[in-house]
Amino acid sequence: MTIFNYIACILLIVLGLYAVCTQKNLLKTIIGLSIIDYGVNLLIVSTGFNDGGSVPIYQMSDLLNGVSAQFFVDPVPQALTLTSIVIGACVNAMSLAIVVMIKKKYGSINVDDVRRLRG
Amino acid sequence: MIQHFPVLAVMGMFLGAFLIEIFGSKNAAVRNAISFITFTVVAGLVYALVKPIIIDGGVIAYWMGNWEPVAGYAIGIGYEVDALGLVFAIIAITAFWISNLYSFGYMKGEHHLGHYYTLFMMLCGSILGFCMTGDLFNMYIMVEIMTFSAVALTGFITEKDGALEAALKYLVLCSLGSGFILTGIALIYLQCHTLNIAQLASMLSGGLTPTTLLAFALTVAGFGVKSFMVPFHTPLADAHAVAPSPISMVLSGVVTKAGVYGMIRCIYIMFRAMDLTQMQIIITAFGAVTMFVGVSMALAQHDFKRLLAFHSISQVGYIITAAGLGTALGLTGGIFHAMNHMLFKGLLFLAAGAVLHQTGGVTNLDKLGGLSKRMPHTTVCFLFGAAAISGLPPFNGFASKWLIYQAAYTKAAETGNFYYLIITITALVVSVMTLASFVKIAQAVFFGQLSEENKDVKEAPAIMLVPMYILAALCLLTGIFYRPIAADFILPAVRSAVDVVKYIDVMMGEGYAAAAGVYNMAVSNVMVSSWSPIVYLILFVTVFIAAFIVILGSKSDRGATVEVDPKNAMKHSNFFSGEEAVYSHVGGSDMLWGYKYDFKPYYRVMEELHSGRVTDYCNMVVIATAIIVVFMFMFMR
Amino acid sequence: MTILRYLFYILVFPGALFTIAVGLFMAGIDRKVIAHMQKRVGPPLRQPMYDFFKLLGKETIIPAKANRAAFLAAPVLSFVSLCFIMLFIPIFGFTAINGAADMIVILYLVTIPGAALIIGGASSGSPFASIGISREMVTMMAYELPFVLVLLTVAKKVGGDQLVFNLSLVSDYQAVNGSLLSHWSMIPAALAMLLVIPAEVGTQPFDVAEAENEICEGPLVEYSGSPLALFKLSINMKMIIMTGLFTSMFLGGIRTGFVALDALLFVIICIAVMLVSITTIHAVTARLKIEHLFKFYWTVVAGLALVSTILVWIGM
Repeated sequence: MTIFNYIACILLIVLGLYAVCTQKNLLKTIIGLSIIDYGVNLLIVSTGFNDGGSVPIYQMSDLLNGVSAQFFVDPVPQALTLTSIVIGACVNAMSLAIVVMIKKKYGSINVDDVRRLRG
Repeated sequence: MIQHFPVLAVMGMFLGAFLIEIFGSKNAAVRNAISFITFTVVAGLVYALVKPIIIDGGVIAYWMGNWEPVAGYAIGIGYEVDALGLVFAIIAITAFWISNLYSFGYMKGEHHLGHYYTLFMMLCGSILGFCMTGDLFNMYIMVEIMTFSAVALTGFITEKDGALEAALKYLVLCSLGSGFILTGIALIYLQCHTLNIAQLASMLSGGLTPTTLLAFALTVAGFGVKSFMVPFHTPLADAHAVAPSPISMVLSGVVTKAGVYGMIRCIYIMFRAMDLTQMQIIITAFGAVTMFVGVSMALAQHDFKRLLAFHSISQVGYIITAAGLGTALGLTGGIFHAMNHMLFKGLLFLAAGAVLHQTGGVTNLDKLGGLSKRMPHTTVCFLFGAAAISGLPPFNGFASKWLIYQAAYTKAAETGNFYYLIITITALVVSVMTLASFVKIAQAVFFGQLSEENKDVKEAPAIMLVPMYILAALCLLTGIFYRPIAADFILPAVRSAVDVVKYIDVMMGEGYAAAAGVYNMAVSNVMVSSWSPIVYLILFVTVFIAAFIVILGSKSDRGATVEVDPKNAMKHSNFFSGEEAVYSHVGGSDMLWGYKYDFKPYYRVMEELHSGRVTDYCNMVVIATAIIVVFMFMFMR
Repeated sequence: MTILRYLFYILVFPGALFTIAVGLFMAGIDRKVIAHMQKRVGPPLRQPMYDFFKLLGKETIIPAKANRAAFLAAPVLSFVSLCFIMLFIPIFGFTAINGAADMIVILYLVTIPGAALIIGGASSGSPFASIGISREMVTMMAYELPFVLVLLTVAKKVGGDQLVFNLSLVSDYQAVNGSLLSHWSMIPAALAMLLVIPAEVGTQPFDVAEAENEICEGPLVEYSGSPLALFKLSINMKMIIMTGLFTSMFLGGIRTGFVALDALLFVIICIAVMLVSITTIHAVTARLKIEHLFKFYWTVVAGLALVSTILVWIGM
């Protein structure tokens, strides 16, 4: 039942937004970004779901015999999700690297201390 | 052959990036050669597309791997270059080429320059790909590459105060934006099961379901984050202040335009919602707020580049307002202003970079002053840029702003809606506030008195002056010859933005759009202009020269300076009240005092909002996205 | 032939010579009337002309800290641009260059002399000049808002369903329907414009940018000789240009058929407008501070213009 998927992904996105918008520790902010990414990835994968479908690997003869659309799940969202996971990993890596250097330079990773550029 | 050029341009850029990473880490000459050749070749490829697309009015459709649509269904990734995308691609490649030339001189002496040029070329390649693609997910990928490269380049000089902080804020906020775009794409795929923009344009023609409405709102909000409207504008102000100056030029001139291009592509072509009144109202509302907040925050800044960044935000507000008016004249003014903004804002950032480079890193407006005597060429270029951005005739800023005003008040008169009159008034008043801000910078940095620390500042090297002069000349020329440029270069882009039928037909085969029941929006009036600057300019220059000769021919003590001899100082002491001359420079914070005094309550609120905390900025993004979603659901069912 | 005609327009009428002569004459009348209001005799009517020629003969001293090119170019820029603006203002049915610019373009062209004054002041390098240009810029910001509102009001009134910004069309409308001042909904806008004129020209109580006794004439402090003559001349030329703009926008219904007679009536009406807006207010008020000036323009004057805009917009 994909309704649970959608509820879960909305919950994940909202939790991620909550973490980004309210947490004072920069690491928690980055974890929040990752949670948003997981939620969106879940959403993308769920869009391709077909009830009772199997893996999208098939023979051309099966396709030409006119089988129904429920034969396999949609492969395109799976490709999109893979790409999105890679992008999420890049965001994670980059932001964690910046946070490490901020800790070295500023001495703290509290959001209230990392605010020399303001006004 | 020519249909391979778009893909070759993008791939050539990425190839250049990888080549530099392999070969260019140690040797500066190899690196500069590779980057110059790559940029020139790619610029040639992009400019070669002008003839078939803009002059002949064609559209290039290119399916990667030759995966043509099967049974009316798009299954491959398609690159579709129409005039709208090509104009933005030309803006991008021109800015990058000039910035590349400038960064040869500016970044000399920094370390890890191999990585710098790699990231620079990846940024360029991703923006070219973004403007030329016809596939929705490909747009998302290109936007992500653009974000990463821009973040890495912002924080490139890690020793600089605040660079890492700006990079982190930029990354967090743009990831939020990308998350919204991706959610929107997922919802669109859920509804339509295709990712090709042309096919989506034909499928979404039957009205908006709740799913697609939510997708629309999220996509618009996501691209809004990328284009740094208010209240998504906060990372841009920080990023510009700390990025190296060639990157600041490119960030303000091109990256913001990529976001605006994404919005135009979504609203005008994919969803075709531009003729709905509520859509126009909300986009122009965001545009007007952006204009005003941008310029009013700029008037209160103490840092040179942060001030220019807020002006960028304000000018992007002009573009969004003009595009949101929904008329052909408005979109013409908007795209023309996008091109002009790249020219004059690029010039201003390069001048700021020259000042920064020569004074050894000083950008505080209170600490500079009197630099026009030491850096005359930079001063001239800066004054050209300042006149262009303030909209003084005959520069290009005046031409495009005049088109935007015409569009705004024509819309006000057509619809009889007082709201559009307020937009016109805001635009006009913001223009004079822009002039005020540049008077402040001119006085604080270039005129006034030279301080002791800056006494030995030298003029910027020639490799940095040449791009500035190129941009200054382009500013003047596009202002004088604005009519052929607007008619032959910008208008085809506008026509292609409203000609959805052609867009779909070229991509998916003839007759597809008609079968799906797609029609073109009504295009209301086009160019209405009678301002002819050439005559004015010729007569002006003639009389100016005559008057100058007459005045200079009069009696004046030229060349004889009377130095006050310290030993004989008593002789002149009645002119100086017996005291020596004191250094009394009126700096940036002392200017425009009356205005700042009257606006104190406003500035108190604004400075609280721009607190510098990442969480506050994320709150603003989420609240603004929520407003967009709620507005769309309430009014556009 | 057309070149000669345009040169005549630029140099003689209604360009340089006409504007200079009338501007100096109006400045003379202004000083004489103020003097009589203050129970003095006052200078002769031709005093501004004497001042101008005296200054032309003096020596030009350029301070060492100044930026030479900008210092000398600014007054010429100001003077030349003012010569051009007069070409676009209709003198009761005669416009030298018709259709080449509308009111918004004139709005921007009028900004150029102000910007030239600012550049001149900035380039002289004196702190008095810096404070002066800061105040001048705030003054410009202050009067732009009511000015813009007045222009939009006139455009809507004349055009009806579409906004008409061409000044000669405004003048033709008034020839048919009577001058705009006779429509009662335009009176607040006319009042607002009358208050904008002294700020543009730079007379009391809005001359805080060039406060003589406070900041030693602000941007003009280091000027002497012929550049100073040109700047003073620009101030006087602005008198005829701004009152001319007011006349063509609000009082433009007269047509006698002869250009010379039209020009004479135009000058007389401009002098009358000047006496009301510039002279009377000058004679009876003191100088406003810069923050009060800004608040005054953005609340009172803009409010007057906004009342007119709303009245015209709803159709009255």
